[in-house]
Amino acid sequence: MNEQTSPPDQRVRQGMDYGESEEVQEVHAAIQREKREPRVGLEPLSIWLIAVYGLAVFFGGAYLGRYSGNFSGDGLDPLGGPPPTKKAGGAQGEQQQAELTPHDRGKKIFAANCQTCHQANGLGVPGQYPPLAGSEFTTGGSRRPGMIVLKGLEGPVTVKGQKFGTAVMQPWDKTLTDQRIADVLTYERSEWGNNASPVTGEQIAALRKELANHPSSFTEPDLLGVPADAELPGGAPVGAAPPKPGAPPQPQSSPAS
Amino acid sequence: MDATEIPLKAPSVPTDVPTSNVEQIERALIDASTRVPVLMFYTSAIVWLLFGTLLAGFVSFKLHSPDWFSNVSFLTWGRVRPAHMNVMVYGWASMAGMGTAIWLMARLCRTVLRHPLLLVAGAGFWNFGVLLGVGGILVGDSTGYQWLEFPPYAAIVLFVAYSLIISWAVLMFRFRRGDQIYITQWYLLGAFLWFPWLYAAAQLMLFVVPVQGVMQAAVSWWFANNLLFLWFGAIGLGTAYYMIPKVIGRPVYSYHLATIGFWTYALFSSWTGMQRLVDGPFPAWMITASIAATILTIIPVATVGLNHHMTMQGYFPLMRYSPTLRFTVFGAISYTVFSALGVLISLRSVARYVNFTQASIAYSHLGLYAFFTMVIFGSMYYIVPRLVGREWRYASLIKLHFWASVYGIGLMILMLLAGGFLQGANMDNPSLAFSESTQTILPYLRGRSLSGVLLTVSHFVFAFHFGLMLFGLGRTSSVPTFLNPVETEGSEAHV
Ligand code: HEC
Repeated sequence: MNEQTSPPDQRVRQGMDYGESEEVQEVHAAIQREKREPRVGLEPLSIWLIAVYGLAVFFGGAYLGRYSGNFSGDGLDPLGGPPPTKKAGGAQGEQQQAELTPHDRGKKIFAANCQTCHQANGLGVPGQYPPLAGSEFTTGGSRRPGMIVLKGLEGPVTVKGQKFGTAVMQPWDKTLTDQRIADVLTYERSEWGNNASPVTGEQIAALRKELANHPSSFTEPDLLGVPADAELPGGAPVGAAPPKPGAPPQPQSSPAS
Repeated sequence: MDATEIPLKAPSVPTDVPTSNVEQIERALIDASTRVPVLMFYTSAIVWLLFGTLLAGFVSFKLHSPDWFSNVSFLTWGRVRPAHMNVMVYGWASMAGMGTAIWLMARLCRTVLRHPLLLVAGAGFWNFGVLLGVGGILVGDSTGYQWLEFPPYAAIVLFVAYSLIISWAVLMFRFRRGDQIYITQWYLLGAFLWFPWLYAAAQLMLFVVPVQGVMQAAVSWWFANNLLFLWFGAIGLGTAYYMIPKVIGRPVYSYHLATIGFWTYALFSSWTGMQRLVDGPFPAWMITASIAATILTIIPVATVGLNHHMTMQGYFPLMRYSPTLRFTVFGAISYTVFSALGVLISLRSVARYVNFTQASIAYSHLGLYAFFTMVIFGSMYYIVPRLVGREWRYASLIKLHFWASVYGIGLMILMLLAGGFLQGANMDNPSLAFSESTQTILPYLRGRSLSGVLLTVSHFVFAFHFGLMLFGLGRTSSVPTFLNPVETEGSEAHV
């Protein structure tokens, strides 16, 4: 890899041997036959070339305009970031949402929020988390589960003959929207062999308003004060009792709260 | 001494007068003064070329036969590949280009090179820097940035060597005689000033005060692309602007075209680079600005191409005889192809399939080899006989060199382009695993290895021929070495 084939001074001598003496009379043939140093002509610019310039400038400018991403410092999208993409992406997202049934949406919400305790099969954990599959609270009228999920549940409770009460169920009204709570209820009321009426976002909204000044979680007695088949107002009746305006839970739960 | 000081007034074109004795003697003196440094640059460059070629063959084989020497750490792909690239870029291309540039500068400034031994020292330093850098890469000190893999300690040596070399070139310009500044001088002076700007800026922003995160990739690609355009491109174009009119003995077609071509080149090239990162995590406008600048390079390319074409008009048959002309014109045509391909693959819709595939390697080779290296070979065929006082020994070896290079580089570019597009399309297909996208191009990679064999033959043949010249074993004759026997008397001067 050492590219110096010979030391420089030796090279100089070698140069002298290269057929040229110090006296410049003897000029190497290559130089004698050599042409003049290059010169430059003055031909004018052709009109076609100007046309090519115009095209290049136009095309380059158009490209810059189209794909500049509005020259925004954090716009990764060449087509101009928010307006077109948001529309395209957002619409697509919503469509996807709309394509899913409330049951499917509920399944996702359940997986994200409830599954850790009640398990994917809805059977809960014996002694700790009550089952939702076949639970009398879940599968009865929609009012009781609505109350539980919105405001939470604490204290001893008996589900399917088993006693629970070591853990509490947090209120979800701060975390989940009406629509989401409705969806997850719809899901758990029709999954794992459950077969109860679906719940709508409007029903939950109404219940949320009704319970607005109910401060704490419910307890088993609160729930038992509500008829087992009490539906939320405005729901599609599935052959169940017509939704009664019914007394708000507060008076009944007053002993507890 | 700034590039912007190049006067824009049109030089007067004297009517054709035969070269006088005085002129011949002056040239002989100038050639004698540049002899030692230029030959030093050339010899070093060719040794690096051979070494880089061997590394390239190794890298190419490893791509389809990865088990080769895979247990020797310094022969792993991740080290040999950057070693190959940097040997070619800094060892071969830069040194050969500087050799040619020094000779051209001396000739065009009509001044003898003073103190040539200091330039020899510069070349020695440069060699040392490359050696240090390649060694550094092989032991694992690579920095990991494209074409900047040399560890910082080698980069410093290169920079010092470069300052030594450039001051000589600029000094020659300072002591120039005659009031005309020829096109070639614009390009060479430009290249000599652009290189330190590019190199220093990249080193500064990557190693001294590193920019944040992904912006390092932006700097790195800006550097790599502009080294190709503003350093190699400028030297290559400047050389072609000299060799073509010189060999055929006819003025360059148009001064106006030359001016427009030069300034638009300088203006637009420096904006390019980011197009190699399409769809990367960068603000879209950065990438788009580079693409738009690449589209605008159509202007200098069309201008320069037309200028060369019109100069050659009617003289193309001379390529049958003159080795210089043949190599140079091939290189000049490749420049147009290279730039056109560059525009095509910069567009977002195409880049999507091409970026980060073998096709971008085809692009680099089109620029650095089919264009630059071929032009430099051409200039060596012209310059070396004037330095050693002998003619090239065998026309057959020159022909072999030319055709092995042409077929070799042609095959390589076709294989890598086709393979690259296929690879890109497969990578873009979500139903294919990534590994499949690499496996499908194996046949193309084998084809590329074949092209490497051809190029190896070509380089060793040339090195052998050059060695003969260096040791005074060329022909002593007043007739140049033509590629084919010359039928007419008159064309003998055209070499
Ligand atoms: C931190 C664990 C935990 C999470 C998460 C949780 N629960 Fe509960 N859930 C409980 C516990 C514990 C009880 C019983 C409370 C008690 O003993 O008073 C319960 C009771 C219930 C009940 C009434 C009892 C039954 O079996 O029917 C329903 C209905 C219910 N949860 C639904 C949900 C829904 C819907 C979600 C998701 C939005 C959810 N839970 C998330 C722990 C959890």
